[in-house]
Amino acid sequence: MEKAEIRSIYLLSGFLVLAFTLPFVVGIMTGYVFFDIVWLYDLITIVLSGMMHGGVYAMFAVGLTLIFGVMRIINVAHGEVVMLGAYFTWSLFNAPGFFDINVYIDPLLTMIITLPVVFLLGFGLQKFVLNAVIGGPELTPLLITFGIGISMINIVEWIFTTDYHTVAYVPGAIAVTNDISISANKAISFAMAFVISTGVFLFLKFARFGKAIRATAQNADVAMVCGVNIQRIYMITFGLGAALAAAGGVLVSIQFAFNPETGIQYTVVAFAIIILGGRGHFIGALIGALMLGVLENLVSFMVPNGTAMVEIAAYALMIFVLLIRPAGLMGMKEG
Amino acid sequence: MKTKETRQHVFFMMVGFLALLFLPDFLNVYHRSFIMFTMMYVVLSSSWNIISGFTGYISFGHVLFYGVGSYASAILVADQGWPWLATLPISMLVGLLFALVIGFPVLRLKGPYFAIATLAAAEGTRVLVTVWDDLTHGGLGISLPNVENSMETYYAMLILMFVTIGVCYWIAHSRFGVRLNAIREDEVAAEALGINTTIYKLAAFGLSAIFPAMAGAIQANKTLYIDPETEFFILITITMKLMAMFGGKGTVIGPIIGAVVLYTFQEFVWVTFPQAHLIAFGIFLILVARFMPRGMVGQAVDRGWWRKGMVH
Repeated sequence: MEKAEIRSIYLLSGFLVLAFTLPFVVGIMTGYVFFDIVWLYDLITIVLSGMMHGGVYAMFAVGLTLIFGVMRIINVAHGEVVMLGAYFTWSLFNAPGFFDINVYIDPLLTMIITLPVVFLLGFGLQKFVLNAVIGGPELTPLLITFGIGISMINIVEWIFTTDYHTVAYVPGAIAVTNDISISANKAISFAMAFVISTGVFLFLKFARFGKAIRATAQNADVAMVCGVNIQRIYMITFGLGAALAAAGGVLVSIQFAFNPETGIQYTVVAFAIIILGGRGHFIGALIGALMLGVLENLVSFMVPNGTAMVEIAAYALMIFVLLIRPAGLMGMKEG
Repeated sequence: MKTKETRQHVFFMMVGFLALLFLPDFLNVYHRSFIMFTMMYVVLSSSWNIISGFTGYISFGHVLFYGVGSYASAILVADQGWPWLATLPISMLVGLLFALVIGFPVLRLKGPYFAIATLAAAEGTRVLVTVWDDLTHGGLGISLPNVENSMETYYAMLILMFVTIGVCYWIAHSRFGVRLNAIREDEVAAEALGINTTIYKLAAFGLSAIFPAMAGAIQANKTLYIDPETEFFILITITMKLMAMFGGKGTVIGPIIGAVVLYTFQEFVWVTFPQAHLIAFGIFLILVARFMPRGMVGQAVDRGWWRKGMVH
């Protein structure tokens, strides 16, 4: 490795340490930090719940990094697909209610319908809209996906209005010890995220098709020469990425309130994660997601005005990582 | 460059200026405001064109300058009691300051990463403005003293528009513009030819920031109420980008055509189908990006209606 590259890794690590200490410093200065055992338990709870958030973030960040890694297009409509997934879940969850049947469909079961539908949607978008612009100027897909994103927002606003919706799944909390407990919904979605991302990882690692996807990501031309149908890989990758985003949306819907315009927030989160983790890097996206989740929760726990500052944390992290080491934590310099 | 062509262009600009100068006397407030906002979008898309069309750095966060300009003006007018015209230079300086502070680190990034970083900068500023409520009144927004000033804002915007077009014209016909084009085509080669790319990029970014800041200030004094959600609305960036791309980025006339055509179209869609506003916008964006990335001017050049290498 070059000297400059090693230095940039050190710089990035230093920056991350700084980023994680900053909330503590601000908290001490503004009196949000108390040095007693109750506060410590709170802190542990916060860190744990940050990791749970991170697991959900990982779902859609992995989708984005997959799309970026294989097709080199920056999909700004990713957050809108997350939002779409959340709305799918909400409608299916409440579907029996519309026919006056007093049952709710389990949100996790709705994935059986949501994921294939969104997969087909992504497949179609890639086939009919995006395929023609791959390999051209990098900004054309950016604009096109932005156009897709705002069209989706408009359609969802039409159908569901701009009100906030929530899916009331499992109430209550799981007690880890007497003093530390975690909301059941968070634990469930973390477990689900863990299962799905492990599944995708194994698929990419061992399945024949996953290998073809990885080969295309490394070098599309050589993969094509070896007999991989690139166009098909592109369509399936985009579909898979969209389905992962929708899975993220299902997990988002059981934890947070959402409205049609929450999408952009998740787009930014996903971008911050893949830039931190290294673009197109699977494990990097997982690590980045966990780090961002914990950092966001620390900020909202200790900084005054924290819930608004959380957004700034993601933006600032993204800009600084881009400046210090654009390749991110795990990525290599693009040659 | 006192060629015949330049004299013709100056003549056309003077005619346009005079026509727009005497037009508002014959119009009602709605039409006057409509033309004012059209001119505002001409300013916005032309100044986006300076950094993105001439220099090739596609900014996704230009609404940032518009927003800080309008906030600077509104704070001075509402809280300090300044006359609104006196706030325009301050807005300009605030816009310039933001451009330098953000541009210095961010202009080192290339292509999509610059786009994402500027997007993040704009959204981050929006959140900061919402949080810092001692200065900006937070999410409540700022109400300005109620006056009817559609005439004054019209003239202010008219002058601003012609200054912006004049600056764009100068850029397109000067060595400065040629250097910016060199940076757009190949930055490494430009640097090898002895162009100090950092300074030039920063200058282009600063120039493209001051006009939106002033446009934002005038707009704030026209609408008399601003809040973070509308002033830092990401769709404003996209609108200026779309207008410049639709007209033809990298030319002087392109953004003007784009802004006039699209703003009229947008107003029509907004009036007739308010609910489908975003979707019409999104589909239009997709079509423009997909089928005419070089805009109407590019199409005209490709078909031989206009000569090649046209920048005006």
